[in-house]
Amino acid sequence: MRGRSHPFTPSPLRPGKRRASRGAQLTGLAFAAPWIIGFVVFFAYPVIASAYYSLCSFDAIRPPRFIGFENYRRMFFEDDLFWKSLWNTLYMVVAGLPVGLVASLGIALLLNRKVKGMTVYRTIYYLPSITPVVATSILWLWLLNPEMGLINIALGKMHLMQPGWLTDPAWAKAALILMGLWGAGGGMVIYLAALQDVPESLTEAAALDGAGKLQQFRHVTLPMLSPVILFNLIMGLIGSFQYFTQAYVMTSGGPQDSTMFYALHLFNRAFLDFRMGYASAMAWVLFLVTLVCALLVFKTSVRWVYYAGEGR
Amino acid sequence: MAFRRAEPPRFGILLGMSLHTASLRRRLVWLPIAAVAVLAPVGCGRLATGPAPKQVIYWTGWSAEEFNTQQRLVDEFNREHPGIQVQMLSQFGNSGYQKVRIAFAGGATPDVMSTIWADELAGYAMRGVLEPLDGYLKRSGRDLERDFTPGVARMLRVNGKVYGLCATTNTSFIAYNKAIFREAGLDPDRPPTTIAELDAAARACTRYDGRGSFVRYGFRPGGLALWAYVFGGQWVDPATGRITADHPGNLAALRWLASYAKTYDLKKMQVFQSTFGSDQTANGPFFVGKVAMWSTGEWAEQFVHRYAPKLEWGWFPLPSPPGGRSNCSSAGGSVFVIPAACKNKEAAWKFLDWFTRPKPVARFCSGIGNVPPVVEAGADPAFQQSALFRFAVNLSRSRNTFGPPGTPIWPTYAREIGRVEEKVMLGGGDPVALLADLQRRMTREQLDALRDLRQ
Repeated sequence: MRGRSHPFTPSPLRPGKRRASRGAQLTGLAFAAPWIIGFVVFFAYPVIASAYYSLCSFDAIRPPRFIGFENYRRMFFEDDLFWKSLWNTLYMVVAGLPVGLVASLGIALLLNRKVKGMTVYRTIYYLPSITPVVATSILWLWLLNPEMGLINIALGKMHLMQPGWLTDPAWAKAALILMGLWGAGGGMVIYLAALQDVPESLTEAAALDGAGKLQQFRHVTLPMLSPVILFNLIMGLIGSFQYFTQAYVMTSGGPQDSTMFYALHLFNRAFLDFRMGYASAMAWVLFLVTLVCALLVFKTSVRWVYYAGEGR
Repeated sequence: MAFRRAEPPRFGILLGMSLHTASLRRRLVWLPIAAVAVLAPVGCGRLATGPAPKQVIYWTGWSAEEFNTQQRLVDEFNREHPGIQVQMLSQFGNSGYQKVRIAFAGGATPDVMSTIWADELAGYAMRGVLEPLDGYLKRSGRDLERDFTPGVARMLRVNGKVYGLCATTNTSFIAYNKAIFREAGLDPDRPPTTIAELDAAARACTRYDGRGSFVRYGFRPGGLALWAYVFGGQWVDPATGRITADHPGNLAALRWLASYAKTYDLKKMQVFQSTFGSDQTANGPFFVGKVAMWSTGEWAEQFVHRYAPKLEWGWFPLPSPPGGRSNCSSAGGSVFVIPAACKNKEAAWKFLDWFTRPKPVARFCSGIGNVPPVVEAGADPAFQQSALFRFAVNLSRSRNTFGPPGTPIWPTYAREIGRVEEKVMLGGGDPVALLADLQRRMTREQLDALRDLRQ
């Protein structure tokens, strides 16, 4: 042992410093402990447990029974509602999400003008997004009523087609997307903040170079906004994959499963059918699908997201 | 079906945990002992005046006015039984009924609850979380089949044992608008008794405008789960417990429902129906004369009384086809149970026994406008004053009253039956293929559930 210093022998150099840093570390950990314990108990453990339960038949009352990948096999090969709900959810992602993104950007652009009383307009457009979803849903049940709803009355006055909305499988998802626009104010606020950050010098320079309004938007504003668009896209993606409340409150998945979304099917399997293991497996598949989509978006984002100072 | 008591319940489903409670309990055992040691001197003065009443925690699924009606009865019980103090808590709505599941999972149940739907009874019973009541019934001199209406009694037995009692039940029948009948050339005092007469009356009462839109419709049948029984079908074989979704009677019922989809544009009918409020608002289509016949139950009376007091109306039991079942009705609703984990079973039973005796049942049911499931309670003057309730009480005693069959998967099964019905009625699906598919899927679902229970 000669010649080797004891591992706990303080280093001859700056002896007090290391001890102090360890003490500080412990203090830091102690302060962070409420969060760490909360994270481990309420997040990490349930996540790991759900991975295990996804390999079990588990009704939440009796002990889980290990069945390997049976839940996954059933889901992929025998559950027609799994595919139907996945399709419905993808529909909301592919059709609903872009509509929402464009609408909130459009509103933000309109509300970025220098007009008198603009703060009032901004407040008005933002308000719906802080109304509780359940309340909005019930309100829209009335607006979307095929015979008495304001929307169809207005369409009728204009001699336009009056869809059955939530009573018609072909229109139910479109109705929900339309309703989603009501909450576009949430994304709008973020775009507005980003629009304030677009340097006027750039648009001015572009104008001096002869760029029209559209070109200015296309080549200056949009690139400057792209990081925020990416943020809204990712958050929207995650939100759309978890689409639940509106369908739960308004349609319970009908008519004819046209609004049976993934999260709703998962909920039914877990809390109506006692199939916690199956529902856990569904949750993991949803997680993987969301993850892959988010990664794809990130992968492509290098091509269209511009971060100032990146020198491109 | 093999039946075994459950393992000790597991702790903390909310956290997704599977922590065994035994060790925790062993440690927690010291907590009350310590508490007693600390608090004993404080309580000494009280102990001298006699033992404190036994507390029975009771979770009810009723709320608002119905809760108050029940509270009056609970207060009366407490007065009559100084040794027992029942404390009633409302666990209302879907979240309340879901809380029950979490309570069972965590082993933290109250002493008595009525927050269980009849649909769920078999599932809970087979999972071993409910106390069988046969012994208690016997000791109290009660007999399920003698005291309760046949449909309710059948529904409360799971694998031969009694797992719950009812204080209310409902009936299903059709209410009709006599004025519309007369206008359509039908005899308002002779409502349909066969399926053929029902179909003809429905056609006669339907009116369209010049553009082919509904002005009024006769009848829109719904509820395959019940109509299957009318056509002689069944969902589970009561003798073997086997799933019988593809029973010829079920198919006949589904085909009959499909015939309405062929005769009428049901989508248009649905749109027309949505113009009006739900059946529980003043604007309900039946109350404003936009539908001639309405599938309903005894609760219709208070709504008609409230929203359309001048309506000239009558009622008749579900008509049946040749070879089908007459006077069919459904049983269901909330069931009173004692959880197996209850620590105070005798006191809990005293309350449950008292509450499901004819007098309290009659008072509760007449108070909230339900039909009593207890035969003797039906003779109470409260039900004999109204013609509708006389009819409903009689109907509830029919042998052809069906509650949820005793399969642990009934909530799932019932929902899937609804999906099949919707696919046929609105999507033009093929009844034979859909029922065959339902048979296959539900058989497997039940096998899975039973395998879990057997381990």
